[in-house]
Amino acid sequence: MSQAPAAAADTQIAIDVRELHKYFGELEVLKGIDFHVKHGEVVCVIGPSGSGKSTLLRCVNRLEEPTSGSIHIEGLDITDPEVSLDMVRAKIGMVFQQFNLFPHLTVLRNLTIAQRRVLKRKSSVAEETARRNLERVGLSDKIDAFPAQLSGGQQQRVAIARALSMDPDMMLFDEPTSALDPELVGEVLEVMRGLADEGMTMMVVTHEMGFANQVADRVVFMDGGVVVEEGPPKEVLGNPREERTKKFLSMVL
Amino acid sequence: MSEPSTVERRTLAELARPSSGLKRTTKQKLTRGSLYSVFVIVIVLAAFLADWGAIQRSFLNPDIAREMFPRILTIAARNTVIFTITSFSLGLLLGLLLALMKLSTIRPYRWFSNIYIEIFRGLPALLTVLLVGFAIPIAFEGFRWRDCSVVPGCGTYGAGTVGLGLVAAAYMAETIRAGIEAVPKGQMEAARSLGMSRGWALLSIIIPQAFRIIIPPLTNELILLIKDTSLLFVLGTSDATKELTKFGRDFANLKFNGTPYIVVGLVYLMITIPMTRVVARLEARNKKAR
Repeated sequence: MSQAPAAAADTQIAIDVRELHKYFGELEVLKGIDFHVKHGEVVCVIGPSGSGKSTLLRCVNRLEEPTSGSIHIEGLDITDPEVSLDMVRAKIGMVFQQFNLFPHLTVLRNLTIAQRRVLKRKSSVAEETARRNLERVGLSDKIDAFPAQLSGGQQQRVAIARALSMDPDMMLFDEPTSALDPELVGEVLEVMRGLADEGMTMMVVTHEMGFANQVADRVVFMDGGVVVEEGPPKEVLGNPREERTKKFLSMVL
Repeated sequence: MSEPSTVERRTLAELARPSSGLKRTTKQKLTRGSLYSVFVIVIVLAAFLADWGAIQRSFLNPDIAREMFPRILTIAARNTVIFTITSFSLGLLLGLLLALMKLSTIRPYRWFSNIYIEIFRGLPALLTVLLVGFAIPIAFEGFRWRDCSVVPGCGTYGAGTVGLGLVAAAYMAETIRAGIEAVPKGQMEAARSLGMSRGWALLSIIIPQAFRIIIPPLTNELILLIKDTSLLFVLGTSDATKELTKFGRDFANLKFNGTPYIVVGLVYLMITIPMTRVVARLEARNKKAR
């Protein structure tokens, strides 16, 4: 498959992945993925565990090193060794399954440390941004708490606020509710829904089919390292064409 | 299906109620009682058999103890603390450097670190102190340890503290490395995903958490160092550079009496016990932020 440079340079496309292969040793986890997210689009990636969906997401900000293929972020080829990955990552918010808040820092410092260091913001500006984003996730009163003093749902909302404090152009969510007790899932999904409504560009790896159905503009079903099927949620989730999609949905729904 | 077992099957009630007659609680009381009585008998025997008069004359002589003050505190204890802090700081800095080298992707760094750790962990601290104190001035002509008298505790003992620091660094490097590796991988990933460089993430996210984890082993290392400063006398001392053990030994020789050993021992404990208490409190406070 030939790469079209004109399309690759399209800045309308937030995330543009072409022919992506990823090996872990001998194991081929991604077998030539073509995947894109447009600006303002919410794309949910679903699929059984081991399908490679988390690896795909982690390749988008190069937490995982792709073996071959190209990844363009807003038209910029981030597999180019000349590109400063730190600045690219600063513009891509990421939310992890295990929250990964910094446990030795207060909520406020969690939200300001990268703003100060990476974006060189003044402390007053960083704090103002942190307060605004904590309010957005409904946790203004926890500003001086340590992560260990918060529930899982609260920690994940703080993690979202931390990513938002960098004023990212897009957000990646890696199974953001999978580590949560069932009664805490709703509050996190609510925050994510709010973000989607505000027009945030989002790539969400999730098992929450209800969320995908209601919020996603597009659903991508992956299995065995390839994209099996993609389209509007009503089609992929409601009326799947592929046998593998049907089988997966019958197991999770 | 397998055949029904021919082994006699007993119910739980039969197994759990042995027919020895003794109740479980009675048996427990008997065991504990005998352990207590052995303990008491040993202590009572020791107390009766010891010659308390001789012990008091040779080890608990209040007049000799009184004579040791104030120099035992103003000189000896002060020197012990200074030597300990100097060598601990050196060991910590060098240990951190070695730990980072050991985790480095650059292979010669890892080799150097591994070789260093093997050597200085394997040699007796006394030998290292002697080597640093005597070999280095000979190897580098014109270099004298006495030249650096600006720093407190420097001089001849400067060599000793450097020697102890080199040994401590080897132990601390392993501890710090283990601490860094104990910080979950997600912490580095989260820091990198926010655009922080690897070095900055290590410095502001990983290392602070690593040190929280390794406070107990580092306290251990500090206490070992306090005691190891007693080796420094081998480099020769003046009245002003004696640390606790040397001070006690000289005093004991002078008075031909063991009391100074006891007093010096108590001063060591006066340093180490409060320190372990402070660290325990620090740890409890840190738990909150885990």
